[in-house]
Amino acid sequence: MLREPLQTLLTVVVIAIALTLPTALYISVENIRQLSGGVESSAQMTVFVKKGARSGAIEKLGEQLGKLPGVASVSYISAETALEEFNALSGFGSALQYLDENPLPEAFLVQPLLLNDSAKLVAEIRQIALVEDVQLDMEWLRRLDALLDMGRKLVLALGAALGIGVILVVGNTIRLAIQSRRDEIVIVKLVGGTDAYVRRPFLYTGLLFGFFGAFIAALLLIGLGLWLEPSVNTLASLYQSQFRLTGLGVSGFITLLGIGGTVGLAGAWISVAQHMRDIKPR
Amino acid sequence: MIRFDNLSKRYTGGLEALRNVSFEMDSGEMAFLTGHSGAGKSTLLKLLMLIERPTAGNLLINGKNLSRLSKSRIPFYRRQLGVVFQNHQLLFDRSVFENVALPLQVSGYTPGEIGRRVRAALDGVGLLDREKNNPIELSGGEQQRVGIARAVVHKPKILLADEPTGNLDPQLSAEIMALFKRFQDVGVTVLIATHDIDLINKMNLRIMRLNQGELELDGLAHDIS
Repeated sequence: MLREPLQTLLTVVVIAIALTLPTALYISVENIRQLSGGVESSAQMTVFVKKGARSGAIEKLGEQLGKLPGVASVSYISAETALEEFNALSGFGSALQYLDENPLPEAFLVQPLLLNDSAKLVAEIRQIALVEDVQLDMEWLRRLDALLDMGRKLVLALGAALGIGVILVVGNTIRLAIQSRRDEIVIVKLVGGTDAYVRRPFLYTGLLFGFFGAFIAALLLIGLGLWLEPSVNTLASLYQSQFRLTGLGVSGFITLLGIGGTVGLAGAWISVAQHMRDIKPR
Repeated sequence: MIRFDNLSKRYTGGLEALRNVSFEMDSGEMAFLTGHSGAGKSTLLKLLMLIERPTAGNLLINGKNLSRLSKSRIPFYRRQLGVVFQNHQLLFDRSVFENVALPLQVSGYTPGEIGRRVRAALDGVGLLDREKNNPIELSGGEQQRVGIARAVVHKPKILLADEPTGNLDPQLSAEIMALFKRFQDVGVTVLIATHDIDLINKMNLRIMRLNQGELELDGLAHDIS
């Protein structure tokens, strides 16, 4: 392995890059998922009250909503407040002057405890006589989820393609090593070395290539994380978010080493099976 | 120890390298295998090393039929052999010591045992002070002796030599032959392929002469000539 230092270094760097790309993408997807998880828990539903309900009934409805199981908090938005907000934010304020009356309904903002329960909660609230409609604004979350799903598939596809690339790179390096040690293999076989004995050092070499490649990939990822962290923190603070970048972690590091080792070993194994057969004593 | 029973070897190209060869060698016997180049000497040695398999007949070593030996058992069979090659087949990327240690390493000896045996073998061929050298720094005769040390380091029952004195002057050749004689004295069966007629005639030993794949002569040197 150390006889050809440049070849060894090149192989290890190629493996490292091939492992870094899908792992970085995987970490990005996981981070976005965490972020979206944070948003999901703050998903609210808007409960619109039927037109013409008396203020006493509306007050009672608010109390009723607050007592429902799975509801974290309820806040009341009167038609007037809603209109003022619309006036201020939409830019259609002047158009509203032509309307005789306030077209907006009275509404409650309901904060569910758990997002998973929200569908049930929506159905339950719809049953209430005074409720006109319930809106759970989750469409964009579903879109994000679909995007993340695609991202995960992309990680798998990219990982598989680059994994095959690593197998080929290791295989080729091992092939060169086998060829340069042809004489030695012949002599070892002649003095009674078993195939397993001849194979072993090449398999170890493949395994070490994979390990070193994964190790360097981990270093690259740590570097990438440190480089991105300030920007991410600035962005998070602009959104008043507590979000912090999550890195590979210990278990992720061990998994990466495992994947690197496995792929390296696989490449060596394929190459040894292919090329050792050709080397026979004459 | 070695028994050839009507052995024939035909290569895939159609060349019949050996035809109905039969002979027997006892344990501790020493013999020369002679004949012109192309007579089948190398093929006979390759059959003994299981580099080639016979196309007909039986080859028995120590009463065991080699044609029934599976491919995975070949390495273990080869560990009973010591082979001295014409071009000595030493590895120039390691020391004399490491070259000689190779047969012990593949058999899984401990480092202590390897050190002891390698030094004993190098002492036997008179090269104990050269163990740290690279074989490339040694003379042709010394390289051949390293090859012999490697062939006997694991105390084989059978010692095969293919033109061991091929490129050596008469005095060195005689020294090498004296070495082989010493192994015979301790019970090793020694078979030497050579066409060094002078050497053969000096030692009154059994000669087997091959001619175009057939065993033409088999007897003591002095009886034949």
